[in-house]
Amino acid sequence: CLQEATPSFSLRTTLSLCFYFCSFSLRPRFTSLTKYISTIQLSKTLSSAFSFLQDPTAAHYMFQDDPYLIPRNSYECRLFSLSKESGKNAARYIVNEFPRFFEKDFAEPHIPCLMPENLAPQIEEVSEAALKEHIQLRRVKASVDMFDQLLQAGTPLSLETSNCLLDLLCFYGDREPTREDQSEQKEELEESEVQTTEEAPDQRKRRGHSWKTSDFIRPKWRENNNAERIFNLMPERNAHSYCTMIRGMVKHGACVRAHDMYTDLLNNRHTADVYTFNALILAVPEVKENYTERWELVEDLLKHMVQQKVQPNLLTFNAVLKTLRKCGGMGKGISLKILREMKALNIDLIIVRMFCHAVISALGSMEVIYEVMDEIEGKTFVAQDPHDGNLKDVELAYRLHKVLETGDNWKLIGDAQQQSLYCARFFTLVCMMEELDVILKWYKELVPSLFYPNVQVMWDLLQALDTANHLEMVPQFWKEIKQLGLSNRPELLEEVLALMAREIHSQETQMSFANCAADIKSIFETQERNQVPLEWTASALGNIAILFSRVGRIQEAWNMLELFKRTNRVPSDKVMNEVLTCTKQSNTPHQAVELVKLAAAFSLPTTAKLARRVIEEFELSEEQKKTLEDADPQSSDSDSD
Amino acid sequence: MRRTQRCPRLWSRLMGRYSNRLTLGASPSSGSSTGATLWTQGTFSWLLSCSRAIQTTAVCRKNRAARVRVRKGDKPVTYEQAHPPHYIAHRKGWLSLHTSNLDGEGGAAERTLEDVFIRKFIYGTFHGCLANEIVLKRRANVLVICAVFLQRLPAYKLYFLVGYTETLLSFLYKCPVRLEVQTVPERVIYKYL
Repeated sequence: CLQEATPSFSLRTTLSLCFYFCSFSLRPRFTSLTKYISTIQLSKTLSSAFSFLQDPTAAHYMFQDDPYLIPRNSYECRLFSLSKESGKNAARYIVNEFPRFFEKDFAEPHIPCLMPENLAPQIEEVSEAALKEHIQLRRVKASVDMFDQLLQAGTPLSLETSNCLLDLLCFYGDREPTREDQSEQKEELEESEVQTTEEAPDQRKRRGHSWKTSDFIRPKWRENNNAERIFNLMPERNAHSYCTMIRGMVKHGACVRAHDMYTDLLNNRHTADVYTFNALILAVPEVKENYTERWELVEDLLKHMVQQKVQPNLLTFNAVLKTLRKCGGMGKGISLKILREMKALNIDLIIVRMFCHAVISALGSMEVIYEVMDEIEGKTFVAQDPHDGNLKDVELAYRLHKVLETGDNWKLIGDAQQQSLYCARFFTLVCMMEELDVILKWYKELVPSLFYPNVQVMWDLLQALDTANHLEMVPQFWKEIKQLGLSNRPELLEEVLALMAREIHSQETQMSFANCAADIKSIFETQERNQVPLEWTASALGNIAILFSRVGRIQEAWNMLELFKRTNRVPSDKVMNEVLTCTKQSNTPHQAVELVKLAAAFSLPTTAKLARRVIEEFELSEEQKKTLEDADPQSSDSDSD
Repeated sequence: MRRTQRCPRLWSRLMGRYSNRLTLGASPSSGSSTGATLWTQGTFSWLLSCSRAIQTTAVCRKNRAARVRVRKGDKPVTYEQAHPPHYIAHRKGWLSLHTSNLDGEGGAAERTLEDVFIRKFIYGTFHGCLANEIVLKRRANVLVICAVFLQRLPAYKLYFLVGYTETLLSFLYKCPVRLEVQTVPERVIYKYL
């Protein structure tokens, strides 16, 4: 459409200009790309735990190799890894509280990470060096106080130090950084070294769905807080100061002010650096409401970048894509072109390359492109494709999986929850689309090393078994279900029983089915302390009875029938017929008569048929025949009529 | 021939099984006369007179190191406890493996001290959970602690303690410390002594 055409043209111009100014070898700029990717991790412990595994048969190596200590489902997995991590935190707390026991340094060479941390500032007097030290130790309040003291005393501060202080304040949003051992916000401290302060705000913005409360309760940028005050007090400001302020404002939500500051910067004829531009681009959705206006603003910023001869980097593209997501429908077409441009600019991101291939070859729906965008930004793989039913999407999924397996790309997925989500969706897709042996192969590879299936996944798996007509594997998967701790889900139990009881199979299969049924029966009967006891349902009872009777375990089938009475459920006709067949095999006529009586007690409509069957098939004594006819109300009624 | 200091009146003493006290001045050539002298003069004089002597020779007591004495048969012992130390390298292995006892290697005392500390530390940290002695293995820089625990604690608590131990001992000894855990439902009894 026309509207799309014009922006795309200008984008092309802008980007081609950028391309002109970009050197062809963007690759050396990203030599530490894997390191860059690794800093996007949401949760360092858990995502480092899910780097590419070499051994698909065992649980993750951070767990001890012992049956009591191996996690059996995802809840346990998370619990164990978190408790191990909290043990480590406890040890570090002890080390930092009582450093005198750990200070004897006999390691050759010296290992700084195994020494207790020294967080107390050494320099006592009020001076610039002391201020630098406070900044180094991340003591926000103390450094602000020191700065004020220095200003009152009239000591001139170098521009560098003031900039450092501004960096600190903008990064932490004028709040104290929380200590490592107090909360889960370790990542900020570990990443926030003064040298990398420039990258850190962007990285924090780039994190995807984090479940930490810090993301929901973002620290707000207060009016005229310390950062602004110090900024105004500074005698001279250079480009760095403006840039830091802009990035801090964007990080803490004061986007309009950030754009105002940007205009200030332009008025003072400074040039912003690439990180500032990224921040500004990200702030665009907050500033403008209209989609078109937003896109125009983004274009403006890109043009400024070109004018100021700032080379865009990967983060720029990420920022643009992110903003485009919020541009609604218009953004979709543009983002495809952006991806092509990124490909043209040779940005050495494996995923981008492969996905561009996939996108262009699949010519899939727009959702696929959203997935691509999500993937680049390290968010969860929102797999819309299972519901599309598009065959090509399976190949896409495989490609994705292969890509993720190479190198450190697992870390892009994020933490364990999203990892398991991705695996679950991938596996569901495989179940729906592929044949059984492929499914089984993927099952062996993914479980239990990478994820633990939940109820939905097991359901899909059972359906796949059904489709492939391999129901004899159901007992095997029943064992898996038990091991995963999913055996108290009634819907799963029902499904397993129904699948087993539907048709008649070979004798050994029936035996294994019957054992399985006995297992399930015991689950219904044992009531563990903290669990709600499972209610018997008619279908469950019926199916178990059928399974028992098919193998000739007549006593147990009888017990099931009695359970029907006890739990006030009514058996179906199929059940009664099956049990009758079983009784015939064991040749116990009195039991058959009992059966008919039971059917009459339940007032089943097939009582008459059952009675007739019994009379035909069994050799009955006179007494028994009489009881049968008495027990059968319908025949007597029909006789009387 | 050693002498015992005693009352010079006494000539001889009955020879005990584990002592080699020798008589003063008794000549072996006396033969039977010495025997007579024994009976008449010195034999039971310890009953009659006070005799004091000090042991100047080596005392060979029964060896009691790392052994569980056989008793009524109600005390359960593990394989480790049931075998005395002369079975090391025959039926038992070592509990602490490091190279400082080889020729020309140093640091044996420090390793031993570290071992003792680590054993006490683990005993206290995983109190009541140890099923058997800890095996310590040193490979290059790494210290591997192999422990068999009882399943008395829930698994997540065990993981907490494992993480805590590994980190604390790493900081203490400035080397990577790894804990390899095996759990058993109860102590594995070898026999009852």
